[in-house]
Amino acid sequence: MGLTNTPSDLLPGTLELLILKALARGPLHGYAIVEHLRVTSGDVLRIGESALYPALQRLLLNGWAKAAWGTSENNRRARYYTLTPSGRRQLTAERAEFDRMVHAIHRVLQAT
Amino acid sequence: MRTLFRRLGYVLRHSRRDADLREEIETHRALRQEALERAGMETQEAVHESRRALGSVTLAVEDVRDVWMLRVIDATWHDVRAAFRGLQKSPAFSFVAIATLALGIGANTGLFSIFNSLMLRPLPVRDPGTLVLLTGGSWTYPIWEEIRRYDAQLFDGAFAWAEERFDLSQGGVSELVDGAYVSGALFDVLGVSGFRGRMLTPEDDADAPDGPVAVISHRFWQKHFGGTDDVLGRQLTLQRVPFTVVGIMPPGFFGPDVGRTADVMIPFAAEPLIRRRESALGERSMWWVEVMVRLQPGQSIEQATAALRGVQPQIRYETLPKWPEEMLARYLDTPFTLVPATTGKSDLRGRFETPLRAMVVAVGLVLLVACANIASLLLARALARRRELSVRLALGASRWRIARLLLAESLMVATAGAALGLLFAKWSSALLVRQLATWRSAVFLDLTFDWRVLGFTALLACASAIIAGVAPVLGVKSIAPNDALKDVGRGIAGDRRFAVRGTLVVAQIAVSLVLLVAAGLFLRTFVSLTRVPLGFVPEDVVVVALNLQPSTVPRQERGVLTERLREAVTAVPGVRSAAVSVMTPVSGSGWNNWVGDSPSPPRDRNQMTWINAITPGWFTTMGIPLLSGRDFEPGDRTGGGAVAIVNETFAARFLLGQPPIGQTVRLGAPGGGTPYVIVGLARDAVYRSPREGMVPTIYLPLAQREQLGATLALTARAVPGQRATVERGVAAALTRVDPAIAFTFRTFDQLVDATVTQERLVALLSTFFGGLALLLAGIGLYGVVARAVEARRTEIGIRVALGAAPAGIVRLVLRRIGLLIAAGFTIGIGLGLWAAAAVQTMLFQLDARDPTTFAIAAIVLVSVGMVAAWVPARRAARLDPATVLREG
Repeated sequence: MGLTNTPSDLLPGTLELLILKALARGPLHGYAIVEHLRVTSGDVLRIGESALYPALQRLLLNGWAKAAWGTSENNRRARYYTLTPSGRRQLTAERAEFDRMVHAIHRVLQAT
Repeated sequence: MRTLFRRLGYVLRHSRRDADLREEIETHRALRQEALERAGMETQEAVHESRRALGSVTLAVEDVRDVWMLRVIDATWHDVRAAFRGLQKSPAFSFVAIATLALGIGANTGLFSIFNSLMLRPLPVRDPGTLVLLTGGSWTYPIWEEIRRYDAQLFDGAFAWAEERFDLSQGGVSELVDGAYVSGALFDVLGVSGFRGRMLTPEDDADAPDGPVAVISHRFWQKHFGGTDDVLGRQLTLQRVPFTVVGIMPPGFFGPDVGRTADVMIPFAAEPLIRRRESALGERSMWWVEVMVRLQPGQSIEQATAALRGVQPQIRYETLPKWPEEMLARYLDTPFTLVPATTGKSDLRGRFETPLRAMVVAVGLVLLVACANIASLLLARALARRRELSVRLALGASRWRIARLLLAESLMVATAGAALGLLFAKWSSALLVRQLATWRSAVFLDLTFDWRVLGFTALLACASAIIAGVAPVLGVKSIAPNDALKDVGRGIAGDRRFAVRGTLVVAQIAVSLVLLVAAGLFLRTFVSLTRVPLGFVPEDVVVVALNLQPSTVPRQERGVLTERLREAVTAVPGVRSAAVSVMTPVSGSGWNNWVGDSPSPPRDRNQMTWINAITPGWFTTMGIPLLSGRDFEPGDRTGGGAVAIVNETFAARFLLGQPPIGQTVRLGAPGGGTPYVIVGLARDAVYRSPREGMVPTIYLPLAQREQLGATLALTARAVPGQRATVERGVAAALTRVDPAIAFTFRTFDQLVDATVTQERLVALLSTFFGGLALLLAGIGLYGVVARAVEARRTEIGIRVALGAAPAGIVRLVLRRIGLLIAAGFTIGIGLGLWAAAAVQTMLFQLDARDPTTFAIAAIVLVSVGMVAAWVPARRAARLDPATVLREG
């Protein structure tokens, strides 16, 4: 299988949260999402396609994102993903939940 | 929910989705490649690198599919495809299995759709759940008029109707159509609005200013008027009276009677136009009207009954018939009772409920036999696939997965069987309903498949799939993964799998035997009913049902008219003799009274006698011999002494063995009995139906009746073989005497047939079911023996090689089968004896445990079983040992 792949130790659902966040700025295609996540995470998060595409399909299935064929910056046919209003709500909700979770984990680790 | 729709959308277009995804991933890869090249990598290297990073595209596609399709759905889809391929590979098996099930499910569905439309389906009207029927027989029109005064106060509307057959012809031979007199409120209360034109309204209950009006059914419009548009305003002759068609009822609505269609409905107000001075509207002892009411919102049936009973004294007092005191007391006290009428009213229900239930049980048993067969076939297939299945097990398939694969197969068979079964049901149920029709009533049932029928079929299909699928699943439980490594080609006699199929065969034989016994009992009942001596000679007798109502001859002179008609018919060439009677034997209707001087009817039914009024020559025409005394003579008429002729049973019951001639008997009358002097003794003859046998009958001279009703029977004995000519001559002669009268020709065959409709139907069905079960059991048995022989090929080959005689081999194979047959046989006999009591009431002069019937059924079953087993056994005996041993 490929070189890098899902940081499998991510908390479940985190990948979807990251994608939602990436899409919050505007429509992106798959490769752009991966690049965005890689760059903004300072090269830490390298998402593989076999994780990315199922995750994207889950967003479609839940109605959080929509997909449409468009043209990429270098004139390639690419599929662009756009956040739907319900996706935006989901982002807010999941973000709060994620914060709560991280906070909780942090507290556990701090405990003596 | 929305998610579910999106999933569905995906499943439907999944190949396009897959293509999209592949393209998308390829774009992804290309973009990565470009990025790598920009970073300074060689093109070739970049292509490799980007591919490597991508991983397996197929895997990604599969993963994505998992997101959309629940794994179970995907796997099931796979099972279905595998099962389909499996069935395709063995067409003979598939054909037998599907055809068997189609017959089984079809017969069940057909019968159920009749049951459904007769018993279960609500009337096609607004809110049928709040309709209730005034039960306890029919009512007089005055009673209805009283009830109607309270309908708005006590209920949410009420209406009445009375079945009637109308004659459409202008004269001569009648052309009858089923119809009804109705009260105008019927359509409004039922919430039925016209398809064309208007329906009847309460205004139609008063005298019609524009002449009499009628509404017709959609079906009648199509059939009689050819569906033309200008039917409204056209004339329709009913009983010689012209009516104007003002509306067409919606398709599917045939009135509140189920099993009978009212093709023409006219207001009660038109009844006096038809029956003229014999109108029953004012009659207080003519019971011919049905009453239905609609409950008020929130009103329970008990409340409604209580409300009606509250006004019962007023209603009863206002409508007192002219009866003796004792009977009036009963009239006043009998409480009104309302019953739910969601499914309408039906006379058929009472008549056919018991046989229908019995047949539903029978047909259910047939389906079980069919399922056993399929189970057996599937099991054989599963065992034949043992090697494949154990390989699957060895490769890690779960047992549940294997079981599902087998269940999918039985489910496929069941689904295909159910689909074909629906077609068979459509055809067979229509055929059965046609069998119900007699000269008295055309039976009409709406047999459209509604959700109940389709649901029932689906349920049957699932049940059969499970019943048929369980055996093979149990069978493969014994398969071990390492079976594949062993040689399973060599069969051993003590094969445990054989036992499962053996059990199935035993069950099949037992159930088939029960069905065969039932078929035998019902067939013999039917045959003995048709062979009951009638006491008269029905051949070559032309029965003419006369209706004198349309004639202009006044009621008092009907006697004279009748005599003229009789003379005219006697003069027709080919007629040997002719006579008139009030009643026609075996026509189903009767006239009775009590014997003795009691002023009111005695409780003891044995004090009752049947009555007929006849003209001289009736006994000769009917072929009933007079044993002593004389026939009526022209001199026996009003004014002379009242005379009577009695039959043997009458004499035996009421005259206590004394010579009847010259004795006086009294027939019940409120005043204390009318005396009649007996002048003759006639041989017994059937009065109402062969099933009732010989009953006491007294014959009175027609000429001594003060009043004659409008319907009479004219019987003519024709020269053998000239019925058709005679009928034409009789029709011409009757029309010459009085062109207005209506008449219909009948034969005694028709009349007798109508008395045994139920028995004929049951005999027909049970014979079909019995035959089907027998066939299925035969196939099952054949399959088991063939399989057993197949499994023991090597052993048999060795035996033959060692010098066993062919007969010995046959015996070897049959010994085992004989045991199975014997076991099934014993259980079947036991079951039959146990279930016998349930059908006793449907039998005639036959004990439900009749040994002859059991013996015949057993012989038939055993012979079929032996033939089914002998064919493969014989083949085994002819095995060429050399071939078999080389195979091994």
